[in-house]
Amino acid sequence: MLLCVDSDAASREATAETLEDAGFTVAEAATIAAARDRVGDDLDALVADQSLPDGTGLELAREIRETVPDTPCFLFTDVSIEEIDTAAFGDIVVEYVPKDAPEARAELLDLVEHAVAFQSQTAYPLPENEEARLAALERYAVEPDALGESFDRLTEIATELFGVDAAAVGLIDAHEQRFLACHGISLEPMDREDTVCTYAILNDDVTVIEDVRADPRFEENEGLQATNIRFYASASLRTPEGDAIGTFCIYDDEPRAFSTREQELLELLGAEAMDQLTLRRDRRETEAADE
Amino acid sequence: MSDDGYAFSGLPVDQIRPGTTILLAGPAHSGARELGLSLLAGPSGEGAIVVTTNRRSRRIAADCEHVGLELTTDSTAILDCVGDEDADVPARVLPVSGPSDLTGIGMRYSDVHREFQRSGIERVRTGLFSLSTLLSFGDLKTVSRFVHTLVGRIDALDGLGVLLIDPAIHDDRAVRTLSQFCSGRIDVREGDDGPELRARGLSGQSRDWASFDPSGQDR
Repeated sequence: MLLCVDSDAASREATAETLEDAGFTVAEAATIAAARDRVGDDLDALVADQSLPDGTGLELAREIRETVPDTPCFLFTDVSIEEIDTAAFGDIVVEYVPKDAPEARAELLDLVEHAVAFQSQTAYPLPENEEARLAALERYAVEPDALGESFDRLTEIATELFGVDAAAVGLIDAHEQRFLACHGISLEPMDREDTVCTYAILNDDVTVIEDVRADPRFEENEGLQATNIRFYASASLRTPEGDAIGTFCIYDDEPRAFSTREQELLELLGAEAMDQLTLRRDRRETEAADE
Repeated sequence: MSDDGYAFSGLPVDQIRPGTTILLAGPAHSGARELGLSLLAGPSGEGAIVVTTNRRSRRIAADCEHVGLELTTDSTAILDCVGDEDADVPARVLPVSGPSDLTGIGMRYSDVHREFQRSGIERVRTGLFSLSTLLSFGDLKTVSRFVHTLVGRIDALDGLGVLLIDPAIHDDRAVRTLSQFCSGRIDVREGDDGPELRARGLSGQSRDWASFDPSGQDR
């Protein structure tokens, strides 16, 4: 869903119509307060006027990024750049299309389509095959609880084997990481920009971060600090086609080293978890085909 | 849309496909900055946008001319995050409040790019000098979002992007993260007989070290 926020009804409706004609579902709002009521997990992008009755488009973008951090944001406005105090919002990063540009709505549509298709405003890099990865994930993430018990066993074995506090198996969807099993830690779904696994699935090999707080990617990550994770290692869950859909990860509250042999063992656990997911998927798809 | 690659005369770099952004990694005084500006010098009819984060526009304009990047107000813009607008620079100089205002840089960039397109300039080369300044004023996450957005824009507009970074002053993991947004990377080092470059991740380019002339005097 795209959220189109503009207090000028005629302009807003024209923008919404352009976006709807291209196949998007559009919710409209005239104020920040009304926009706030429409924000949810289904938000794909925000298109907002800078000048709103109860605030500015940049204020709204900041607020939305706090709840749904991956949201691409677009200012579509009559307000000129000179009149916009960008310095106070320097870390928001939005696209800007003036309403008086020639074919402004067509340009806006091009930019929205590109940003939604390629997730081009995320604060983290995406795997090269992200689209295929998400398609593959859909075939595996159907029954998230089905393998709970066997993954509980694997994560318990992992904590003992490596002498760490905790282990978890998680899948990474377009915007979040969701955990299928945790041992020694309880993890709610986490925004993708806040999880270490977001970066781990970019690696072909086992990822080892001996001290998470000394890593520039995570040193200011409050979520990780709250869970007291200092050491992290993971093996990617890679489908037979090579798409990394999640991770088998281990954590500890102290920085530590992780030997080559330990990395090999973690890789084996990851492969075992992936095999279970694949068997479960194959069985489900065979059953569906038989019906 | 054009299928023709961006060409570089006098440099050991083959044509690069439109829509590509390169991370240009080289330490200070290695010739990386000069190389970055040289990569922006195209045939007439192309535009160039230079984002300067730590040198005044007058100084970067002189750097451009030194390497043979010709400035004109019709087709060259300098986004100046350092301050004072220098009136006598032969380029469109656009002020940004500072190197921590990534929103302002992005919006100014979109705006001047749009103006270029409106005046018939379809091919635009963009250089950012440098990511190292942005990282010293902002956190990696924010700089990442900015780079991702800029790279996406350059891709959508079939442009060419060159983002300079000094890898010596940042953690490897920060440099690698920023390189992951880019299509490829060119490393610069000080060789025995002057500066050398090596391309990585760019199709059709030699992967060996090759020496280049940072003053652009070969051209």
